[in-house]
Amino acid sequence: MLQRDVFIGEINKYLEKDKNIFFLSADFGAQALDELRKSFPNNFLHCGISEQAMLDIATGLALEGNKVFVYAMAPFLALRSIEQTKCGAGLMNLPICLISVGIGLGYADAGPTHYTTEDFACFRSIVGSSIYTPADTATTKLIANELLEKPKFSYIRLDRDALPNISPEITKIDLNKGYRIFGKVNNDKIVLISHGKMLHKCLEIYNNKSDRFVCVDILRSKPFPKDLPKDFSSCRGIVVVDEQSPSGNLSSCVFEAFSEQNYFPKIISKSLPEKYVFENGGREYLLNKFGLSNNDIIQACEKII
Amino acid sequence: MKKINDLENLAKKYRRDLFEKLLVIKQGHPGSIFSMIEIIVALYHGGFINYDSKKNLFLNKVLISKGHATAALYPIMRDFGILPEKEWDNWGHKESLLRVFGNISIPGIDVTSGSLGHCIGIGAGMAVSYKKSGQNKKIYVIISEGELYEGSTWEALLFAKHNKLDNLSVIIDINSLIILGKTRDCLNLDPIKDKILGLGINALEVDGHNLSDLISIFEKANKNGELNCILAKTVKGKGSSVMENKKKWHYWNPMSKEEIEKTRKELG
Repeated sequence: MLQRDVFIGEINKYLEKDKNIFFLSADFGAQALDELRKSFPNNFLHCGISEQAMLDIATGLALEGNKVFVYAMAPFLALRSIEQTKCGAGLMNLPICLISVGIGLGYADAGPTHYTTEDFACFRSIVGSSIYTPADTATTKLIANELLEKPKFSYIRLDRDALPNISPEITKIDLNKGYRIFGKVNNDKIVLISHGKMLHKCLEIYNNKSDRFVCVDILRSKPFPKDLPKDFSSCRGIVVVDEQSPSGNLSSCVFEAFSEQNYFPKIISKSLPEKYVFENGGREYLLNKFGLSNNDIIQACEKII
Repeated sequence: MKKINDLENLAKKYRRDLFEKLLVIKQGHPGSIFSMIEIIVALYHGGFINYDSKKNLFLNKVLISKGHATAALYPIMRDFGILPEKEWDNWGHKESLLRVFGNISIPGIDVTSGSLGHCIGIGAGMAVSYKKSGQNKKIYVIISEGELYEGSTWEALLFAKHNKLDNLSVIIDINSLIILGKTRDCLNLDPIKDKILGLGINALEVDGHNLSDLISIFEKANKNGELNCILAKTVKGKGSSVMENKKKWHYWNPMSKEEIEKTRKELG
């Protein structure tokens, strides 16, 4: 099941009891959104292909006390309307939830206009925002419910593709903490930190050699989980894997969090290169070609060893 | 509602108050503030923004999209008792609540603005919320003519028209000047009225400094049951011959003693 259908499906359930919700779309769809539009037409606003106005409209709705969800394709929701997001949800501290679909190279082979490889860096610079990147549907569902119960200025980064479910299933304690650990931590192991689609690559590596690796799923990257550095303060090294451009990606959060707490393990960042990707071949092909294959990640780990 | 003569005197008083304050703080945007004084006097004192004296708040909303001129509202808020007198007196000191640009931490200011092109969308969101929740409230959004250069202005107008937001009025303060010069020389916006009409939106023209005409046009807009754009022809820096129609008076400028006295006399 697609993450977007799960998230909007939870909104549909919530709308049965709470009509104080507005769902805004910049002409971006989902099966679950068809259901929302059919069952709750008064709670849906089509804003046209106008992300900037959509964020301003969301601001007005939120100023009047409504729960507001805005929804669009990731590259446009993240970057086209970022100043509106700053001036509305940011400056006025409004509980607007932005649901962004197709992060990373999700829209392969559409090309770089449709890739979203800088949204993480951009969004984490907006004061007051929270950022979530679910790696499966169970996580998506939990995040949706948390934001429906306690709305806040948040940016939700959903994958375009259906991602496999992760076992064991996420718990509310994990989400509150902001991360979950796969494997037992000890000083000899290398820690793979990631989120979203790339977490699955890290999990594959971990599952093959669980005696060498620990894997960490960053559920909420902003505010960055404050307990995480302490958990891995004496690990052998860390490889952070993110389907983003090199500057300001998840590895920056990890570097900052560890150094702020005076922990200095060896940290290697594995991201996309500092270039726009025009090649065809599909997402996996592009990830493999541009340094984010399982082998590339393992090679980065070997540098630590 | 006050008599037109009283309203004219209020407009003069607000210009004087604001001039004296800007003279002290030596910053701000007098040209843009003075061009919209009659518009806000007509709205707040002409009976269009309902004041609930028990709750000490306005029931309808005024969003100043040209956030550099939000300060024009401060003396009005002071006179209604929404903004404490001491805050007005304090303006210009470090710990003052008041800013050159308005924000929602200031009593009576409904939106944080400053970046142009945001408030028609914000007003449209509020208008949708009022309609869907059955609240009989109105929103007046005052934009500068320069905000017509922003794409988000037109995006929001399309949305407001499509959603039949008859509880929203957009007032365009057309003083024909932007920072670098006349709009028609920098990048021509004319004919503004035709562009608004082209969206299928009512375009009502008015002298933005004639209080009687402003009140008539606001009444007309309230009665026609449609989304309205009110094109208010104004003069940048209105009331001071030192400032009127001079692009440099978008910002505060140092004034000679003679200019200060001349302006005081003209605003008197």
